[in-house]
Amino acid sequence: MPGADKETDLTERIEAFLADLKRGGSGTGPLRGSGEMARETTYLLRRITAQARWSSAGDLMEIIRNEGRRMTAAQPSETTVGNMVRRVLKIIREEYARSRGSSEETEQQESLHKLLTAGELSEENFRQHFVHLKANVIEAINELLTELDGTTDNIAMQALEHIHSNEVIMTVGRSRTVEAFLKDAARKRKFHVIVAECAPFCQGHEMATGLSKVGIETTVIADAAIFAVMSRVNKVIIGTQTVLANGGLRAVNGTHSVALAARHHSTPLIICAPMFKLSPQVFTTIFYPFPGSFSYCLPVLREILSKVNVHCPVFDYVPPELITLFISNIGGNAPSYIYRLMSELYHPEDHKL
Amino acid sequence: MDKDELVEYFRTQVRQDPEVPSAVAAIRTLLEFLKRDQTGETILGLRENLTQTIRRLEEADSSVAVSSGGELFLRFISLTSLEHPDLSQCKKVMVERGELFLKKISLSRSKVAKLCHTFIKDGAKILTHSSSRVVLKVLESAAADKKRFTVYVTESQPDSAGRQMADKLQNLNIPVTVVLDAAVGYIMEKVDLVIVGAEGVVESGGIINKIGTYQLAVCSKAHNKPFYVVAESFKFVRLYPLNQQDVPERFKYKADTLKAVEDLAEEHPMIDYTPPSLITLIFTDLGVLTPSAVSDELIKLYL
Repeated sequence: MPGADKETDLTERIEAFLADLKRGGSGTGPLRGSGEMARETTYLLRRITAQARWSSAGDLMEIIRNEGRRMTAAQPSETTVGNMVRRVLKIIREEYARSRGSSEETEQQESLHKLLTAGELSEENFRQHFVHLKANVIEAINELLTELDGTTDNIAMQALEHIHSNEVIMTVGRSRTVEAFLKDAARKRKFHVIVAECAPFCQGHEMATGLSKVGIETTVIADAAIFAVMSRVNKVIIGTQTVLANGGLRAVNGTHSVALAARHHSTPLIICAPMFKLSPQVFTTIFYPFPGSFSYCLPVLREILSKVNVHCPVFDYVPPELITLFISNIGGNAPSYIYRLMSELYHPEDHKL
Repeated sequence: MDKDELVEYFRTQVRQDPEVPSAVAAIRTLLEFLKRDQTGETILGLRENLTQTIRRLEEADSSVAVSSGGELFLRFISLTSLEHPDLSQCKKVMVERGELFLKKISLSRSKVAKLCHTFIKDGAKILTHSSSRVVLKVLESAAADKKRFTVYVTESQPDSAGRQMADKLQNLNIPVTVVLDAAVGYIMEKVDLVIVGAEGVVESGGIINKIGTYQLAVCSKAHNKPFYVVAESFKFVRLYPLNQQDVPERFKYKADTLKAVEDLAEEHPMIDYTPPSLITLIFTDLGVLTPSAVSDELIKLYL
């Protein structure tokens, strides 16, 4: 029966995605960039909307929320998955409100104003059925996908405003967004880039190779030399894994040291992060260690490895006071403004899936 | 309903339920006044009566919370009267909405506690200041969540409110130590985080709280410890102090002191102002806010 086939096909795809997520974290699967992750998640959510059985917005939201919970449980460190689920939930809420004809602003945020003027204890249960809701939601998800496709270009377009000739830019490790950003500026300006190699995986080397291929003068330095070199740097431009709700970052290990060195020399710290990396989480002391064997990092110690504890945290927390500017696909913003951007992207009830 | 009856009603509210926030008691009193008011014929007259009533309440209890509750109620009246220009219908709607509002804000403390207790980790050492019912609720939720933590409370002179807080915490089986106000710097290296309540949250994102809070905040900043504030949203007040002197005198001292004493220079202030730069996060029933988000909320309401 065609209906049952679609169902099983959908569940198969979801299971495949979950398995991929779990593998991706263990270091043996293909290491994907967050942009790709976001896109895959959104494709899957669109497929769920199209193929799953639901009759009202409430059902759809419940299905997506359940799948979202499973996905975030499979790989907690990959926050873009959860972010995309929340974006889609917000899309569903908006489309539902639009179908009902009520203005969207009133339904959204909790505020003192809403507390005072609310007429009844409005229990919005999303039970009404609308014929065109499915089509509207899928169209909105398609718009979201177009936005995702254009993020790196949108960020790179702003490069010329921030990078000037003969500047020395420092960056850390490898970020696809920063690479595109610098390459775009290199088309019209001549500047130097210093890349910190970011041990133990030394992704800075790949970054440096990529940059030098387009003719940017690049220097690779060891992580220990960051402070020493900082006095000659005009700007620090880095990427991040997640932007937290308070304007802080969860970025690759070593970023906090770079931020402190930059603060000490009063060097501006610019973060290039697309909007899908914005997460409603606030900083808690949970870091996800990269599972896998570390023995190859310390080849000398192979004989005594059983007697040594090796800790290799993957992520660092950078507090918002150390950050100067966030450049995202919607423009440049101060860290103190992140809460506002978040309230526009996600509904407060979806913060906790 | 004359002014003395009002103050008596307010005082009864506070006496009967010591857990009720003073702003809520004030709003309840004003709502009662609204219900019993027969003299008002125009909305402007109603507003004037209410303003006088609020002033009378402030004379009885000079805390920031009563003032913010009063202003919120006035704003509530203005917003409702914009929608329903006819007085009698307006009054009916106001009373309905008022009851609803009271119902919602009675849940605020639990909402705040739900948000904040996840920030308390197992084995945490928490420092708090004086006696705050919201902080108590937060610690209660964390303890109910089977978390183990210890609490240090400052004694908070001149009324030793910290000791009452310590007693309440001991009743909840939470290990607690009372420290001198002067020992804050000494104890700061041991603690993991600082949680305080607030009597008022000002427009800049700073807070007005029991005297000694500013000191605590400066110390925690110096030691890089997170400084969290827990407050319900009805405590947001339209003040923008730039330093300690900018806080109005009527909040600084108890109501009786203000009436009795001529020269306030001899008196010890009961509250101080903590600027937003020292605060990490503010937990409210509207969510977890950074200090810069507070003015956004106030603008949404008042402008």
